[in-house]
Amino acid sequence: MSARRMLAAAALAAVLLAAGCGGSSGSSGGGSVKQGGVFTIGTTNYIDTLNPFNYIEAEAVTAYLEVYPELVQLAPNLTSYEGSYATKWTHSADFKTYTYTLHSGAKWSDGKPLTSADVAWTANTIVKYQNDATAVLASSVAHVTTVDAPNPTTVVFHYDAPVDPNLVLSNISSLYILPEHIWGSHAGNQGKDLKAFRPENSLPLVSGGPFQITKYEKKGTTVFKPNPGWWGPKPHVEAVGLVYYTNSDSMIADLKSGQISAVDQVPYTAVNALKQSGGLAVTPYKYGEFTNITWNSNPRKPQNRELLDPRVKKAMSMCVDRQQIISVIYDGQATLANQSVIGPFGINWQSPDDQKLQFNCDQANAMLDQLGYKKGANGIRVAPATTGKYAQPAHPMQYQIMVPNSLDFNGSREFSIVADGWSKLGIKVTQQAGGDSAQAYAIETDDNCDAAKSTGYAKFDIALWDWFSYTDPDFQLSVATKGQWCSWSDTGYDNPSYDQMYKQSGTLAGAQRLTLVQKMDKLLSDQWIYTFLVNEKAISAAQPNWAGYHPELNGYNYGYMTEPYQK
Amino acid sequence: MEGRADYVVKRTLFALLTVFVAVTINFLLFRALPGDAVSGLRCQHCTIQFKAALRHDLGLDKSKWEQYKIYLKQLAHGNLGLSDVSHEPVRGLLWDPLKNTLLMLTLGTVFSIIFGLLTGVVAAWRRGTWVDKGSLWTSLAFYSMPTQWLGLMIVYFVADRIGLPHGGIQSPDLGILGNPSTYDYWKDRLEHMILPALTLGLVLYGEYTLIVRSAMLETLGEDYVLTARAKGLSNFAIVRKHGLRNAMLPIVTLIALSLGFIVGGAITVEYVFDYPGIGLAIVDAIDKRDYTFLQGAFLLLTISVILFNFLADLLYFKLDPRVTT
Repeated sequence: MSARRMLAAAALAAVLLAAGCGGSSGSSGGGSVKQGGVFTIGTTNYIDTLNPFNYIEAEAVTAYLEVYPELVQLAPNLTSYEGSYATKWTHSADFKTYTYTLHSGAKWSDGKPLTSADVAWTANTIVKYQNDATAVLASSVAHVTTVDAPNPTTVVFHYDAPVDPNLVLSNISSLYILPEHIWGSHAGNQGKDLKAFRPENSLPLVSGGPFQITKYEKKGTTVFKPNPGWWGPKPHVEAVGLVYYTNSDSMIADLKSGQISAVDQVPYTAVNALKQSGGLAVTPYKYGEFTNITWNSNPRKPQNRELLDPRVKKAMSMCVDRQQIISVIYDGQATLANQSVIGPFGINWQSPDDQKLQFNCDQANAMLDQLGYKKGANGIRVAPATTGKYAQPAHPMQYQIMVPNSLDFNGSREFSIVADGWSKLGIKVTQQAGGDSAQAYAIETDDNCDAAKSTGYAKFDIALWDWFSYTDPDFQLSVATKGQWCSWSDTGYDNPSYDQMYKQSGTLAGAQRLTLVQKMDKLLSDQWIYTFLVNEKAISAAQPNWAGYHPELNGYNYGYMTEPYQK
Repeated sequence: MEGRADYVVKRTLFALLTVFVAVTINFLLFRALPGDAVSGLRCQHCTIQFKAALRHDLGLDKSKWEQYKIYLKQLAHGNLGLSDVSHEPVRGLLWDPLKNTLLMLTLGTVFSIIFGLLTGVVAAWRRGTWVDKGSLWTSLAFYSMPTQWLGLMIVYFVADRIGLPHGGIQSPDLGILGNPSTYDYWKDRLEHMILPALTLGLVLYGEYTLIVRSAMLETLGEDYVLTARAKGLSNFAIVRKHGLRNAMLPIVTLIALSLGFIVGGAITVEYVFDYPGIGLAIVDAIDKRDYTFLQGAFLLLTISVILFNFLADLLYFKLDPRVTT
């Protein structure tokens, strides 16, 4: 699956977690709960490793949440955090010290005690090697200096700067606590041995979560069985099988024939067929993916520099029929997106002044006329010649739109709708094949991308893509910084004032941070570095004899596997 | 005898040179793709520090020339390197998908060879009859079908009706509550193998039938076949001893080529049937820019094609002594 989709899956899990799954309550919408049975979930993502120091794929997080304890996890409302291994937590007045109280009497599945020492060892090890062997988990301990375990049920995190509680909880929810008595002997060689360790080679995995992994097949079926020593709410099932499929057609065929119990994400093109086949519970749910037009916003871009003008981008955005996109591409399973880079899961952080995009081609035409972009004899508008360092001759407003082929929606169809709208403005666009996500990013950033030299982002104008949103806005705000050039930045936006604000936001907490975040969001919205189109809904499908299945919890809350039960 | 030795030496040297050229092309080919194993990562936790550390670990921060020298040095020691994605030895990573592919494609190829030879010979012997026409049109139809299209038709219209799985290599619930018996395991595997093997076998069958028929028609028109008839030999003896044997040269070439490509898998068949063979593994590796895995997989493919061609060359001695001259 594409990296964007991996992000989406991870974010989905976080968001859905909060969406009313009831976490580990065990309650499940009416009807009696029958214990036992095997719940099989089809997925097109795979668990690449059971070693959290090596993982890339988001599906690995699905597994980690069930076998490695976390201090906190996203609550079913998908907007706040609830305790998991930690029962409560407090922070110092200066937001630099966070103290967690842990469940007492917890044990690993091999009978060894699970204590604050395991938490401290895991966190301190990540901090120690965060620029190398443990870099993959470094964000979970961002700004952490040391972690103390004053007693078996208390753990204290010390930060080098004030860090907002929401950001701390967001980060710490990705801290997968490992059994020190297993992993401690693999921390040699400057931590590099941690990456070489293969816990999947000795199953069942020593677990501190609700499940043990008894069988692991990277590109097959991974089996989760209840951990008898688990201290939390017991799973209802006898086992969960996570079944990997290379393509969704096979997965849907197996679902229809009853060979698997549920599917997290039904492709939009298969939804109607599944509904018509009857019997299956086909359910839309809130999802964090939101689609966008990406505008090359590199201030040094050499061509078509009229597309750096926010007024031009706003006018063009006003003539994109987003309702048509929703009905044609998503069969109604999407909503209009706000013009906020933070996205639907971080709605509480969005600026109240974000641009509200209205579909109005007449007004858009008038705006372009007023800006001096006159139509030529062939009906195509002409961008006037400019002078100065980046002078360009007069030229027709015709551009290429790059469309990756790794999107989970029909990108070519979306391009057609965008192109139709812009043709009414006298702007001609053609589709540029983007290839897979690696190739598409390479097209956006260029081969010679170098943030220090400010080279790159010179060969594309516009792209169609998507983002995934999170409950904390930090990541989404970071993608517009110069620090993410040649990495997560897909716009080439380069604004030192914005970068300064982003840096400052990492050291503010509470209302101060909220104010600054909203200011940054408004700035990006006003600059139109993206035009946000729609917020996708995801569609799940499950056999009618199963209930309590909350796909939105995937990757965010262990209830994803503990909650399902047979009717 | 001297001529034969010279032939073998020349062929061997040519095969080795081909392998070396292929190794170099394999190295360059994948690096021509935009992006690499690190730039393609789009996970939220893939921070800049993480990417820098990974790029260093994988040696992607070295020049292409340096990387090429390291690759050749490893190869000289029989080491295919570590995967850029999973960091596991490529040799081990190739084994599972290769095993899956070999089993499935061998089944399909054996099916096609047997039926292709049989129908090709019968069609040639019964030239102009309804048997010939029926066989010709059937084989032409299968040969012209895009493999992936035939696979999809089988998935949509055949699988459910005959109760065979649509895809995958094992049932989703097999082994969840305990290890299956050896019988259950292999029965399940075979059931999952039949449709992809049949898809591949049907397309190859069409090709084999046409080639065999054509080669047989040529030999059956020779004077020595007429002489054999005049001598009163049975039809079976004429076909087996004088017809088929003399038609074997193009047939052996075709079979050898097919066997060579067997290792490459049938990417489209594996994709349609979600069958985790070497073809799917290659597609996944391309998507993730796993250069090391791709180099190993294509080296394997190259060697298998060259090896089977080499074997076919040697077989020509047996079939046609004129080859040495």
